[in-house]
Amino acid sequence: MHILATEGLTKRFPTVTAVDQLTVTVGSGVTGLVGANGAGKSTLIKILLGLLPPSGGTARVLDLDVTAQGAQIRRLVGYMPEHECLPPDVSATELVVHLARMSGLPRTAARERAADVLRHVGLAEERYRPVGGYSTGMKQRVKLAQALVHDPKLIFLDEPTNGLDPRGRDEMLTLIRRIGTEFGISVLVTSHLLGELERICDHVVVIDAGRLLRSSAIGEFTQATQTVTVEVDEGLDELAARLTAGGQTVSRQGRLLVVKVLGPATYDAIRDTTAELGLCLIRLEQGRHRIEDVFREEVAHV
Amino acid sequence: MSEIYDIGYRHYDGPRLGRAYATRALAVHSLRGVFGIGRPARSKIVPFALAAIMIMPSIVGIAMMALVKQRGIPYSGFAVVMQAVVAIFLAAQAPTVVAPDLRYRVLPLYLSRPVSITEYVGAKVAAMTVAVFALIAVPLTVTYLGELIVDMPGPPATGEYLGAVLMAFLLALLLAAFGLALASFTPRRGLGVASVITVYLLSSASVPIIYGTLYSSGNESAAAWAWLANPFWLVDSVQHWLFGTTPHSIEGAAYPSGPASAAVLVLLIAAGLAALALRYRKAAAR
Repeated sequence: MHILATEGLTKRFPTVTAVDQLTVTVGSGVTGLVGANGAGKSTLIKILLGLLPPSGGTARVLDLDVTAQGAQIRRLVGYMPEHECLPPDVSATELVVHLARMSGLPRTAARERAADVLRHVGLAEERYRPVGGYSTGMKQRVKLAQALVHDPKLIFLDEPTNGLDPRGRDEMLTLIRRIGTEFGISVLVTSHLLGELERICDHVVVIDAGRLLRSSAIGEFTQATQTVTVEVDEGLDELAARLTAGGQTVSRQGRLLVVKVLGPATYDAIRDTTAELGLCLIRLEQGRHRIEDVFREEVAHV
Repeated sequence: MSEIYDIGYRHYDGPRLGRAYATRALAVHSLRGVFGIGRPARSKIVPFALAAIMIMPSIVGIAMMALVKQRGIPYSGFAVVMQAVVAIFLAAQAPTVVAPDLRYRVLPLYLSRPVSITEYVGAKVAAMTVAVFALIAVPLTVTYLGELIVDMPGPPATGEYLGAVLMAFLLALLLAAFGLALASFTPRRGLGVASVITVYLLSSASVPIIYGTLYSSGNESAAAWAWLANPFWLVDSVQHWLFGTTPHSIEGAAYPSGPASAAVLVLLIAAGLAALALRYRKAAAR
């Protein structure tokens, strides 16, 4: 079943066309919506929430029409905005309980759900303190909690990793993956940092200037060009020379060698060559080619 | 020895109530915010101090009735006499209702839920109206109860009391619509406070200026219209028309015709609500 489907969806603003003839379907699971800043991701989410009327075309979310059944859609979906949206003088608990009630949960249920959800996003005792004193990472968690508190069928996460440090980013991505798998809630997550989505998404939709560039399962993106990253203690040049002589495509990136995977033989070649040279192998990593590169190729073709 | 078990994610399959419930919850939440309930202690100081000042005339009034068998401020004139306190309350608290959601961009969190922007604004207006109404009607009611207990000579002024309560409601609606509209155009809390109080001061100061100008140019009947520039006198003039109470204008000066005052009152309430609607239509589109 499709959780959302658009058909020739268009949104024109006086000066710019934010979404242009977009026809795409998204199934359950975690879906990445990828595009540069200004590609129309946030506009698309607002249309899907029924908050912005499309200029043309149709869109259905959970089989509900966005123009006619916006309120019903908003009952069943959660939304985490891109920008800061938390009032500083209330505690996370108070805010999330209040917003749960705004989604129609009775008072006691709202309290229980808020406590549950705040625990799931990893906010402990600090949830009783005013949000104004939180770090960016904690604020992002509160934003995520309020999107989850009414147990939606689908959540829209707009740039959830924005402003996070690498560790916070990892934790957020892990959490999003859990929401899509363990929690059983479908996720549409946007990012302009394309690489990070490949770790958590089942499916990726790439848009640029409001137009669909590509929509396919994550496997298809990463299969195209696979590489393996090799790190050895010393003797990198020697290894590179031997591998090249053996017919492998090798490129050097600082202290690492990136070898294009031509088939299972590539791994054998690396293993054997390293052993023959008696090198100290530190790392042999599946360096799946980044979505960035695919994206770049796609843009180049258009 | 206690252990925390991770029981995993639990789905919610309980009831999901409708938009009316959500709107009511928002109104109550906002009303609590006006009085700083559920907020840090410093948020409670201003509203409760002003409420205490409002209740003082009631206490004095009851004491006067009990000791010297005389009434204090009449019910119909209470709002006019206490107008500065009510205006300060409005200026200080109206921004707390609307400003944070605009300034910190909380609005999208509401709008991504079933409530519509109209229901959101309606809940906010309802909350502020109830707050201002309570500020005026509670002292009136305390005085009235005092009057019943003290057992003044002659019948109790029940009619005047009920009329004053009704007018307090209309005044509260007018003040809430305008206060919130002004505060929503100036989302910084301090600016909101300043803008509401400035408009009140201008409306008060313009009364004697317009009155004096017209009066000295020999336009006595036209001068009476000056009273309508101030919301408290405007509502008092409607009260004068509806219930025949004595005008509480300065030195009991006459008001212009009652129906016209009532029309102005209705128009101003509509204008305030329209301004709010426009402001929020723009805010919602962001």
